[in-house]
Amino acid sequence: MSLTAHSEPLASIVEEVRDTGARLPRTKPKPAGDAGGHILELLGISKSFLTTRALKRVDLQVLAGEVHVICGENGAGKSTLMNILNGIHRPDEGEILIKGQRVEVGSPLVASRHGIGMVHQHFTLVPSMSVAENLFLGRNPTRYGLFSDRDAMRRRSRQLIERYNFELDPDTPVNRLSVGQKQRVEILKALAFDAEILILDEPTAVLTPPEVDELLGVIDILRKRGRTIIFITHKLREVKAIADRVTIFRHGESVSTYRITEVSEADIAHDMVGRQVFLVGRQDDPESPRQFGEDLLRISGVTVTNSAGRRLLDQVSFNVRSGEVFGMAGVDGNGQTQLAEVVAGLMPVQAGRIHFMDSDVTAAPISERMKLGLGFIPEDRLDRGLSATMSIEENVAATNYVAAGMLKSGFIDVGVRNAFASDRIKEFDVRGATLGQPVGWLSGGNMQKIVIARELARKPRILVVSQPTRGLDIGAAEFIQEQILEAADNGAAVLLISSELTEVLSLADRIGVMYNGRLPQVLRRDEADEKTVGFLMNGGDASTP
Amino acid sequence: MLKSLRSFGLAILPQAAAIAVTMFLGFVLVAAIADEPLLAYRELLFANFDSRSNFALFINRATPIALIAVGIVFAFRAGVFNVGGEGQLYLGAMAATVVALFLSDLPGAMLLPLCLLGGILAGGIWGWIPAVLKVRLAVDEVVSTLMLNFVALLFTSYLVNHPLRDPEAYGALSRKVPESVWLPSIPGLPNASMGFVAAVILAIISWIVLFRTSWGAEVRAAGTNIRFAEAIGTPGGRRVIEAMFVAGAFAGLAGALYVLGIGHRFEQNFSPAYGLVALTVALLARVHPIGALLTSLYYALMLNGAAYMQIATDVPRSLVVLLTGLLVLFMTVRLRPPRVVG
Repeated sequence: MSLTAHSEPLASIVEEVRDTGARLPRTKPKPAGDAGGHILELLGISKSFLTTRALKRVDLQVLAGEVHVICGENGAGKSTLMNILNGIHRPDEGEILIKGQRVEVGSPLVASRHGIGMVHQHFTLVPSMSVAENLFLGRNPTRYGLFSDRDAMRRRSRQLIERYNFELDPDTPVNRLSVGQKQRVEILKALAFDAEILILDEPTAVLTPPEVDELLGVIDILRKRGRTIIFITHKLREVKAIADRVTIFRHGESVSTYRITEVSEADIAHDMVGRQVFLVGRQDDPESPRQFGEDLLRISGVTVTNSAGRRLLDQVSFNVRSGEVFGMAGVDGNGQTQLAEVVAGLMPVQAGRIHFMDSDVTAAPISERMKLGLGFIPEDRLDRGLSATMSIEENVAATNYVAAGMLKSGFIDVGVRNAFASDRIKEFDVRGATLGQPVGWLSGGNMQKIVIARELARKPRILVVSQPTRGLDIGAAEFIQEQILEAADNGAAVLLISSELTEVLSLADRIGVMYNGRLPQVLRRDEADEKTVGFLMNGGDASTP
Repeated sequence: MLKSLRSFGLAILPQAAAIAVTMFLGFVLVAAIADEPLLAYRELLFANFDSRSNFALFINRATPIALIAVGIVFAFRAGVFNVGGEGQLYLGAMAATVVALFLSDLPGAMLLPLCLLGGILAGGIWGWIPAVLKVRLAVDEVVSTLMLNFVALLFTSYLVNHPLRDPEAYGALSRKVPESVWLPSIPGLPNASMGFVAAVILAIISWIVLFRTSWGAEVRAAGTNIRFAEAIGTPGGRRVIEAMFVAGAFAGLAGALYVLGIGHRFEQNFSPAYGLVALTVALLARVHPIGALLTSLYYALMLNGAAYMQIATDVPRSLVVLLTGLLVLFMTVRLRPPRVVG
């Protein structure tokens, strides 16, 4: 594609959508490993922020038409490098070559002129406008050079959508779309700008598992159409599923690049973390089977109906014993959120009973349940888990004022509180935490450690954990899973709700699968494998597979 | 001790710098238009300290601003944008006046607390209404508090023009409240109302309550993230309502103290938009009670100083409007924070 085409994106959209998919891709995909086909090269890029060296002489070579995954833990420098590529930051040293030509990317506008399009993790769409209006925002086709030509806009949007099989309605307002659909609009927007190189910054962090699969499908379509994709993630499953090649970042350096066929998940994990990773699990020792105590948490016939009359939880019953991890699997949106809120006491039930030990807590508020030994780790740390603008010590202390003796005749003893917070920070290895700082300044993994440190400090007898490792890198996830298992070993009844199937399978002693608000079956650990549970997650009946 | 002094110094450094830059730019401006810029600036800054009576006026000006601003700090900390300080102030003043006039036979020692209580309750209820609407029905508090201002202003205007009007006075004034409930002056400062002492004490208590009690921690948790507040087992909505009652009560108390200490009667339009000035003050003080107290002193200094400046020189008092505008601009400037590396 010539560079002149970029100066007139509209014209080329017309050209592009005129043939809906019949034509051959304009940039022919070259086979991976072809040294001649570098569409993009970054050589010796360094970047410092104040005293932190975010990137240390990083190299990256991307072949035309490949899906190149960039993989690394939080803070490894992936996002910084992409921001340099997109013209948001400027490198301190090093050069950027596009199709062999040295270029200066001074701003996102320049980047898009060079055919680089970025899809950010957080969407940049106008919620009240339709899909078509969002696609053509700021460059809508006009009639008589004055009036916006809505028919043309709609027609071209439809053609663009069809060309990539995106299954979107151009007239739907964006605020009525699901997260996955919004992301597709965002991708289309970059494509409408004629992006040859599409950068996706952790696109799956906001998606549910089925949406992730759809996105991977979308990326496959884009690859077939000759686009070059740079895909940033730290989830190994996605790397293996989609990549042609993978470059691994660690501590601001590009450690290694592999063709995906030559490398295993364990190798990638090793390079990301810099050491051997032991994915924790609840291995049974056949010599001495795990002993469970009495039922600490009993849920019987719990039903929750929303205002529209739909049953969000339908007759859910199960017990969790002392020392046991009860794993609740399921595709997001099948009632897990409500289940966690109901057990925690944040949502009233229409029917059924909840018992903590021998007490009926069905009508008890969360404060009372906490007194009985509830620990609650909410699914979204920035929603219910933390107050981002309050200080680290206040967030750690929030549920522990009484239990940890921080109140002296009604007043907060700041010395005791800060000592308590420092101890938790040390114990949970929260990196970059300074007392007095807002907790929102920490990275996601360290924020999650703060939530878990706070809830485990009371030594809960009943622990409700929702999506504990969502969005976390391997190192942090490993640590948090260990903490959850340790709590169970200390006698807590743990209800672990997670949409990461591998997490549930490796941590739980018994596994339930939620589907449509129901819990039809509870499997023993030895009955549950990925196939059975996956079948149940989609509404199947395990007795007749 | 030294460390906390140092951190306090660092905390107010930006504010002090903003004031310094504002005053400097103001001086450049005055020098450009005035024959005697030095005199104008001297009047603006120091005429308040020329005599005890000037200083007393300065103190009396600062009192209502400080009290309302400290109240608004509670509202902000609970996540409520309380624009209703003005209405709460008027109702507090009116309630104190009504109690004093209708129970004037009671001895002062009983009547004075009743007047204060009346002011506190009237203002508190006027803060409670929009809070309940917000928490229970998700009514936007900016709209409701603003609208309630008109209700309060027009209602008190009716009362002071008709049933409570002093037939012997010229203008919309109520009868004078009995002398037994007049607040004493600050010792050594004739005419400076003791209300200011109350404001100082209450600002300090407010700091302790907000930052050193679990109630304060719960209010701030509810104000920054109410879903978090619920998840840690605190009644978030109730805390928001309580904090707004306190905010209204502070404004109501400011009204009562104005009537008892300064005006000695209810005057229509007695407030030059104290409620809105206090909103600015609370914001400039970065929503901190002690900061609000100090900032209200600065505002009072400028407001009264401008009058002296206009009398003594050819600089119009509206210069102060410009200066406060500049100040808001500079206070809200943030040096770019260190980027989070990701």
